[in-house]
Amino acid sequence: MTGDLLVILQIAGRRCALDALQVKSVIELGAVTPIPRAPHWIAGITALRSQALTVIDCRRAIGLSANGSDAAWPTDHRAAVVSDGGHSYALLVDGIEDITTAAGEVGQVPGGFGAEWTKVARGMIETMAGPALLMDLSALLTGPEAQRSEIEAAA
Amino acid sequence: MDDLLAEFIAETREMLEASGGELVAWEADPTDRARLDAIFRFVHTVKGNCGFFDFPRLAGLSHAAEDALADCRSGRRDPDPTLVSAVLAIIDRIAQMIDAIEAGEPFPEGGDDDLIAALDVSRETAPDSGSEGGLEGASEGSGPTLHAPAASLLASGGDEPGSAPARRADAAAQRTIRLPVELLDRVMSGVSDMVLARNDLAHRLRQAGTQPTIDGPFERLTTILSDVRDAITRMRMQRIETLFGALPRLVRDVAAECGKQVMVDLDGGDVELDREMIETIRDPLTHIIRNAIDHGIEAPSARLGQGKREIGLLAIAARQSGNTISIVISDDGRGLDEERIIAKAIATGLVAPQDRAGMSRDKVLNLIFEPGFSTAEAVSNVSGRGVGLDVVRQNLEKVGGSIKVTSRPGHGTTFTLQIPLTLSIIAGLTVEVAGHRFAIPQSYVEEIVQGTARALDLTRMGETALVTFRGQRVPCLMLDEVLALAQAGAAPAKEPTLVMLRLASGDLFALAVEGIHNHGDLVVKPLAPAVMKSGLYAGSTLLDDGQPVLLLDVANIAAQHALVSDTRARVLGADDDNAADHGDAGARAMLFTDFTGRRCAVRLELVQRIETAPTSAIDRSAARPRVVIDGLILPLIGLPDAPLAQARVRLLRLSDGACELLYAVREVEDAVELTEALSPVPEDPLAEAITLIGGAPATLIDAHELFARYGEPPVTAQRPRCTLPEGEWARAILAPLVTAAGYDIVPEAEADPSTIGILFEDVYEVAEALGRPLPPRIIRLRDQPDAPAGTDTIYRYDREALLAALAAEAAAVAAARTGEAA
Repeated sequence: MTGDLLVILQIAGRRCALDALQVKSVIELGAVTPIPRAPHWIAGITALRSQALTVIDCRRAIGLSANGSDAAWPTDHRAAVVSDGGHSYALLVDGIEDITTAAGEVGQVPGGFGAEWTKVARGMIETMAGPALLMDLSALLTGPEAQRSEIEAAA
Repeated sequence: MDDLLAEFIAETREMLEASGGELVAWEADPTDRARLDAIFRFVHTVKGNCGFFDFPRLAGLSHAAEDALADCRSGRRDPDPTLVSAVLAIIDRIAQMIDAIEAGEPFPEGGDDDLIAALDVSRETAPDSGSEGGLEGASEGSGPTLHAPAASLLASGGDEPGSAPARRADAAAQRTIRLPVELLDRVMSGVSDMVLARNDLAHRLRQAGTQPTIDGPFERLTTILSDVRDAITRMRMQRIETLFGALPRLVRDVAAECGKQVMVDLDGGDVELDREMIETIRDPLTHIIRNAIDHGIEAPSARLGQGKREIGLLAIAARQSGNTISIVISDDGRGLDEERIIAKAIATGLVAPQDRAGMSRDKVLNLIFEPGFSTAEAVSNVSGRGVGLDVVRQNLEKVGGSIKVTSRPGHGTTFTLQIPLTLSIIAGLTVEVAGHRFAIPQSYVEEIVQGTARALDLTRMGETALVTFRGQRVPCLMLDEVLALAQAGAAPAKEPTLVMLRLASGDLFALAVEGIHNHGDLVVKPLAPAVMKSGLYAGSTLLDDGQPVLLLDVANIAAQHALVSDTRARVLGADDDNAADHGDAGARAMLFTDFTGRRCAVRLELVQRIETAPTSAIDRSAARPRVVIDGLILPLIGLPDAPLAQARVRLLRLSDGACELLYAVREVEDAVELTEALSPVPEDPLAEAITLIGGAPATLIDAHELFARYGEPPVTAQRPRCTLPEGEWARAILAPLVTAAGYDIVPEAEADPSTIGILFEDVYEVAEALGRPLPPRIIRLRDQPDAPAGTDTIYRYDREALLAALAAEAAAVAAARTGEAA
């Protein structure tokens, strides 16, 4: 991992990292059209040029805001655009900080990162800007329900 | 050249090119099952298409090759090199024939039999040692010179390869190139981006104010862009009609081959889909149709025996739901035989006998899509070896589609093909509810109804809402409730807009929305799987202003609310046509031709009866003509301006319950069912709509307007009354005449002052001489033709004078009565 470019994000007040190769761009988020009866962690869809992006609220997708209050975290007016399985998503986060290089390999921490975070994290990574939690994009995009059922299935 | 023929040639040639590699590979390893299957499919398709086009030689060659290959596939024969060569020779011959057909040149006669004989179909691998001879013979031809026998076979057919017409490079009238679809996709999304950039620029230009130096070129850019966009769109999309167009002929021909009568019902031809998809489903569809006619629909005599109509029905309907197209092919034939399928599956080793008990009927039926499966007992020229269905499924799955079958024994079989549209442009309607906008595919929209809740007869039955649409109770979904957007306690809309949606299964339901925005072409893009899971949306699309909107998955929403009946309902409905006729008497009309020669219809409920009245009963003295029928004076419409030539006139007696009026018609045709769509005729207030009856247009009379204009309660006409003289002559001869002229005959005792007395002159003279009371109005008749001078009498056979006198007296009576009334 060392030397790989990472995008550093703030999600729910924590410093997280995404592989820069997975992030196609960072956009100014325009109007978001809500999707009635969609899972709560999907904020809606927005248009990027002629493409429709599914807007994911990362905090909710991790399963955090279920018990916390929404106002606890600021939301960046920018969003990271990622692509998974042929679909494009815009990730709604607290803030998009920087692009930096990894300064080590992905490692685990004794005691883990907490139930919600463990599901979506590949592990801790040292970067030039300090330690960050490296996110597993596909796990994040499946939402909290799927993660929960996976855990139950494993247990 | 015939389009279909050109397509056939192009397709065959394409397959020849594609199978070129397979042929070589098969030659190298004749036991390669996959190659064998590919070549088998090729000859099978050629055979099928030839039957369609009447190329008996091609059909003969391909049938022979297919037979031989089928034996190999079933293991009855080993694909030895001799066979390979013979098959290759046939394929080469097919290629030459195709070239000749395209060039429009006759192909030299003869030679086919040698090629077919070379296949030696009869020589099957026998389980005993007898097969060795064949194998030995084969080994002679093996080795690097394998293809040589093929060439020599062709030569021995009296037809050197060189003499075949050279393939003409300029064969195609329209130059075409093939492009990878990804490239098209890229161009298309690039153009979409350009349109959005243009819209953005337009917005900024408007803000900046008019700048003539920029506006001109900008307008030009806009025009060019919309042209390009149209062209790009057309590059990919094609109406499924192009595919459907060939089906009636195919059905007819296949049915004729099988000695069956089949009626085809096509629906949804305006659904557009990717050209590529059309090409993908062309063969599957053809195979299914052939199978349905060959195996599904019974022979006419068998059908009659089962109480079905002699003519089988094959219904093919296409519907679009977001990024899926479903094509439903239903027949009303004998249905699939579960037991035979399972027996066959066990025999071919597809299913272990012990697994039988655990298999549902559905699962059993879907075994027909397994490779190498066929239930047909006799191999026919039309279909037969199960090549169709396994290839059908493979081809569909290759593009992410699916196929399933449902069947009821004795009632028919329904194949449902689902084809995805990764990128499609559909006509859509944008609706609004609770501040959100959604798109609905236009193909579902039957009609948009707007009106007050009362007018729509919107009623709540438990949790379900019903509306009345054309006299039919239709379930109604509230879109805001479906999407959980309804605000608690909010009053239901006073004037909902209802979008009437018809599903592929034929079910109708209403979707209540708050408003309709516009409709136009929408580019549908797939949604993220997490959103698709909700089952409410089929895709997303961008409006012209760049705002994304969601496309509702109408079929799924209906299914979630249990509004979908079995897809077969449509066909069964058609099957029970006659029963439905009696049940649905809501739309019947009396068809007639009026005096202007116009073909008209009037709703049957209005027609009391058909009257025939003498022309003399028509009174045209007033501004509006009247007619006296059964002692009632009724308004009469529909008369020509010119006097009527005929003595009697046919009248439709229409009633709205209180008022009656008569419609004069030239000819009454029949009572008919209104089955076709009614299109309004705003320019003619008296016409409710124009519709098709028996294939010809007919104007449906607007009863409301008719009665508003002409209706009036009937007035009892006081028929003038007369008394007749006594005697046989008066009763037998005078009475009918007087009655026919519209007078009532009363006995003397009932005579009142308004009664006209008809007397013989001699009786009158006697009465006058004796001073007996005489009726106030008298017509005196005399016996002699020549009137004695000075007497006011009428010769008793002077019809004209008599009727005129009666009319004059009657008029005087009427005048006197109105005088009294005044």
